[in-house]
Amino acid sequence: MWQWFFKLGSPKWFYELSGKWLPWLVAAMSLLLVIGITWALLFVPPDYQQGNTIRIMYIHVPFASISLAFFPLMAVAGTITLVWRMKLADMVAKTAAPLGAWFTALALISGSIWGSDIWGTWWIWDGRLTSMLLQFFLLVGVISLRSALEDTDAAAKACAVLSIVGCINVFVIKYSVDWWNTLHQPSSPIGMAGDSANGPEIWVPLVIMIVAVYLFFAVSLILSTRNEILQRERRSKWVQELLASA
Amino acid sequence: MTERRITTAAAFRATLARDLLIAYKRKNDIINPFMFFLIVATLFPIGISPDPQRLGEIAAGVLWISALLAAMLSMDNLYRADYEDGSLEQLLLSPHPLYFMVLAKNISHWLVSGLPVVLASPLIAYMLNLPTDVYFALFMTLLLGTPVLSLLGSIGVALTVGLGSRGLILAVITLPMSVPVLIAGTMAVQQTLNGAPLTAYLAILGAMLLASITLAPLASAAALRISIN
Repeated sequence: MWQWFFKLGSPKWFYELSGKWLPWLVAAMSLLLVIGITWALLFVPPDYQQGNTIRIMYIHVPFASISLAFFPLMAVAGTITLVWRMKLADMVAKTAAPLGAWFTALALISGSIWGSDIWGTWWIWDGRLTSMLLQFFLLVGVISLRSALEDTDAAAKACAVLSIVGCINVFVIKYSVDWWNTLHQPSSPIGMAGDSANGPEIWVPLVIMIVAVYLFFAVSLILSTRNEILQRERRSKWVQELLASA
Repeated sequence: MTERRITTAAAFRATLARDLLIAYKRKNDIINPFMFFLIVATLFPIGISPDPQRLGEIAAGVLWISALLAAMLSMDNLYRADYEDGSLEQLLLSPHPLYFMVLAKNISHWLVSGLPVVLASPLIAYMLNLPTDVYFALFMTLLLGTPVLSLLGSIGVALTVGLGSRGLILAVITLPMSVPVLIAGTMAVQQTLNGAPLTAYLAILGAMLLASITLAPLASAAALRISIN
């Protein structure tokens, strides 16, 4: 029953399987990105209050929503590393940290540009902005701990512990910071419900962009994990054969 | 082979007593964090403004940040000497739950570096012109909050104990984690200034303290086992 689970931990198996998935994921991602961006930039009606600035939302919201997934992802991968000693989990955790820092930074930067027009300021010490900034710092902490520890195995376990602690902390930070000072609007309901403030011409492209950015995240994570697999398994037979045939 | 059984409670007490004795013998461990706290607190009036009005507004934050930095600076002593002379390994090899040993070390660290800061806080608060009616709030929040800082910082130290130079990485890991405590502490003082009851904030800080007493030593223990293979 557990066989598939342990098979999942084999870098070689993952490398082969992800190689098969990758073209489909990239195709779906490109298609959705092209549709989503074109729709968002050219066809969405300007907001009655924010005008064309509203189009930043189609970048900002997807990136902001996915950057919240990184700590839970790293904590789950870290738990698997600590409990089952699965090499693949740590490779995912290792590549997730810099990606998470980039995504968080993009969410912050796009939000800042949006804010410069709507709030009249590039930065404000608001709950959400501050908690995102702190999440960025925590991710930088994980990255620097990883690079400081030379032994791969020790680094894997240490980062796993830090990710689990950090994951709990991200939630505590989020609540405490919201409670401290809040200006950022809460997320608007997306859906068909009658109470939804926005019509489908607003939210359908947003959903497309969110799915596209999630796929972008999956593709980036898979690509860098594959890279990490090749680097760490470079002495193994299958990688040598793969490189010889390439 | 006759072996004298030592209970976990006795081992806990022995670890605590040993750490306190070491701190007493090396008085720098007590004096340096405290002096650091005083100096950092002194930098704020010099750096921002000596105007009593403005200082009074920021005094609570200044005291909290100084306490946070002092706690972090003194963290280095927590496991380093033990790591270097090998007694940390002995601690890991002992049959007693590592949780209690770590907790004992954390308590001694707080008694040595946190408690003096808490006790001195009203004096610094006076120098920074904090309104007198919130002295109690400040004192109580520091009393509940600084142990949390020690417990959280211990995780970061345990993760990095094997590294040669780790001053900055420790700060990068630990400081963002301490933000909730900082927020609860300074909010409590601010809200008390505005006339809100203090109990809600003390309850939240108390909850943070209880949660970190139960969870943080577990994480520290796991981190120590990783750092010392």
